[in-house]
Amino acid sequence: MTTVLAAPPAAAAQTRTAATVIARLVRTELRLVLREPLVLAFVFAFPVVTALVIAGSFAAEDAPDFGGFEPSQWYVSSYLAVVIAAIGLVMVPVHVAAYRERGVLRRFAAAGFPRWSFAVASLVVGVVLTIVGSAVLLAFAAPVYGLPPIQDPLWMFAGVVVGALAFTSIGLLIGSLVPNARAAQGIGLLAFFPAFLLGGGGPPPAVMSAGMRRAADFVPLTHVTESIRDPWLGAGTGAGHLALVLAVLAVSALGWWRAVRL
Amino acid sequence: MGTVVEVRGLRKRYGDRTVVDGVDLDVDEGEIVGLLGANGAGKTTTVECLQGLRRADGGSMRVLGLDPTVDGPRLRSLVGSQQQESALPDRLRVGEAIDLFRGPRAAHVDGLLAAFGLTAHRRRAFSALSGGQRQRLFLVLALLNRPHLVVLDELTQGLDPAARRDVWEAIRALRDGGTTVLLVTHYMDEAEALCDRVVVMRDGQVLDSGTPAQLVDRHAPWASVRFTSTADTDWAGLPGVRQVHRDGAAVEVHGDRTMVAHVGAELVRSGRVPSDLAVLMPDLEAALVSLLTPGGSR
Repeated sequence: MTTVLAAPPAAAAQTRTAATVIARLVRTELRLVLREPLVLAFVFAFPVVTALVIAGSFAAEDAPDFGGFEPSQWYVSSYLAVVIAAIGLVMVPVHVAAYRERGVLRRFAAAGFPRWSFAVASLVVGVVLTIVGSAVLLAFAAPVYGLPPIQDPLWMFAGVVVGALAFTSIGLLIGSLVPNARAAQGIGLLAFFPAFLLGGGGPPPAVMSAGMRRAADFVPLTHVTESIRDPWLGAGTGAGHLALVLAVLAVSALGWWRAVRL
Repeated sequence: MGTVVEVRGLRKRYGDRTVVDGVDLDVDEGEIVGLLGANGAGKTTTVECLQGLRRADGGSMRVLGLDPTVDGPRLRSLVGSQQQESALPDRLRVGEAIDLFRGPRAAHVDGLLAAFGLTAHRRRAFSALSGGQRQRLFLVLALLNRPHLVVLDELTQGLDPAARRDVWEAIRALRDGGTTVLLVTHYMDEAEALCDRVVVMRDGQVLDSGTPAQLVDRHAPWASVRFTSTADTDWAGLPGVRQVHRDGAAVEVHGDRTMVAHVGAELVRSGRVPSDLAVLMPDLEAALVSLLTPGGSR
């Protein structure tokens, strides 16, 4: 007769809490990001360089093309969304797909990490990197163009955080669906550049064709940009845009939650 | 002795393909049990179901008294696992990996790193480790939280012979310390060197199980003796001999293992012990080839 061993009774009390796991994953992921020069360049340097070039190129344009605001102020307040898009469409999909491809997520699961812990840690990392990337962008833009005063800080901050969560969530969804990191890179870049050009980083809507303006309305980044820029420059709370971004967040989060391969 | 793993009738399908088909498996406390079989035999899926990483389609499982389907997260905190084709981020350092995976029941890390020769590599990135160092790091991580059961899936795949033997020593040390080990491998020499019992799988089913010696007895009971001799000895008449092949002076005698003693005795008696005498005893690989080959012993 054999005895089936029971789990040690103290084990339940001695398992890691989900909060501990997430905190360790966040710390580890932030460390790893700092060691990825390509990611650092795309998330921190690309928005700075393009903001300075585009804002400088349109500096002499008429203010009516920019909703009555100074072109430089319009671009400075728009480019936080470019940081968000670079994280969500370029960095996160490749990272998640590479982790899946190399079995890192399986290793996390086998170590007893909750299935959703890596996704939650990625969302936290996405928000932290957005804040740091935005600070870097503003630090470079301020001496050149000056910083427009933030008219409605709460709504503006909500736009940044919800936008970062939504785009990181989109990145998690892409990374959990594509077959490998190369495909993630291709799809991410293919999504990033149209979103960047139509959604706030390119020419102002006033100089776009009607078709391009209509296409821009369907680009989620457009609504992230508006939900940040409107309260920042005093053009409203941007609540309608924020609601759309929240919807994008909900749909993409549901997508990766159901994606078996994350 | 308690049973650490008890599986009855485990079934798992991917789409319309059945990959595990009614597997029964028992692992007792303190044993090293090997799961053997060719690629696609269902070994990895079986151990993934045991850890609650895949949901079984049928059968019952108890691992450390827990149901992996229901108690997966709790179970995985008690099981040390090295999964096949599972890596770490390239730029993650050895010490950081340990910090990431360390739980409240963690062993003494310095001692563990020293035992596996990784103390000097604590600040080295995963991508800068050699194949052997990576596998030893995986072992450290699998043992980090003092697991009651260790599941090692193709741990030595791709390692050079010296590195494989280092890892074998580490696994033997585990058993000596009382840890139960479930080892998935398709290296027969590894199973023969390490395992107290082996379970042979093919097409998702268990073909046979037992100690390596029992499997050899059941499926490869024959031995061969080769030598050069011009004498006209009646080798076929010796006890235990089944077949004799002659090619000029080259003689090859097949038979059961007692035959070896009789052939040797005859050579000594004749006073012509050949210098090229070779005895080929069956091993686990021969038993597995016989077992897994259509028309073999099964």
